[in-house]
Amino acid sequence: MKPERPYFLDLAAIRLPIGGVVSILHRASGAALSLTIPCLLYTLMLSLRSPEDFQRVADWFGGIFGWVISMGLIWALLHHFLAGLRHLGFDLGWGEDKEVARKTAWLSLLAAVGVTALIALWRLA
Amino acid sequence: MRQVGGARRGLDMWLAQRASAVYMALFLPLFLLYALCAPSLDYPRWRALFLPLGMKVAALLFVVAVLVHTWIGLREIFIDYLHCARCTMLRLSLYFAFAVLYLACLVWAVDILWSVR
Repeated sequence: MKPERPYFLDLAAIRLPIGGVVSILHRASGAALSLTIPCLLYTLMLSLRSPEDFQRVADWFGGIFGWVISMGLIWALLHHFLAGLRHLGFDLGWGEDKEVARKTAWLSLLAAVGVTALIALWRLA
Repeated sequence: MRQVGGARRGLDMWLAQRASAVYMALFLPLFLLYALCAPSLDYPRWRALFLPLGMKVAALLFVVAVLVHTWIGLREIFIDYLHCARCTMLRLSLYFAFAVLYLACLVWAVDILWSVR
């Protein structure tokens, strides 16, 4: 006979712990990045093909549309990179302690947002 | 019907995921440092970055690492969300479609990198 276990599934009250937030964003950013690969290769091809195409790429990234999309990509890449380093640490047994894991989760989340903001400011300057 | 996959393949994929992550984590910061050290990155300088054979090889290995890493990551997502009994065919079709797409990207990347002469 199955033991009766308490369960709590009030979706309005459940809060994902910070490690869960970083983890699902790691997955979401990875999925988003996976779909941009052909676009990035196309951009690389144009940028290397001729001075005119290089200029077109530079102009596109300078425009509002290209600026917003590239900043989104930069955030996705930074978050995936930092959360990935954290996971590599877990594989080696580093930072598995609950308190440390929470700190590194906050650190990777905030560092990705912070560096993205700095790059945004640098690009606007 | 024979089961698709096996007990050991998951471990191989797990290891390949980590190995490709390590290469990317080493290449990307070094490349950005190298590229951004140029005073202003105009077309001749950008092209000249990819002129040495060593850079072409290192960049192509980076592309391989990205594609391997991405394919395994997507496979993991498909396994997590498409696990109903009748989803196997859909999952295998998605593996196939992305494998073809990414292999095509690999060949394309060779053409792009080696067009710089």
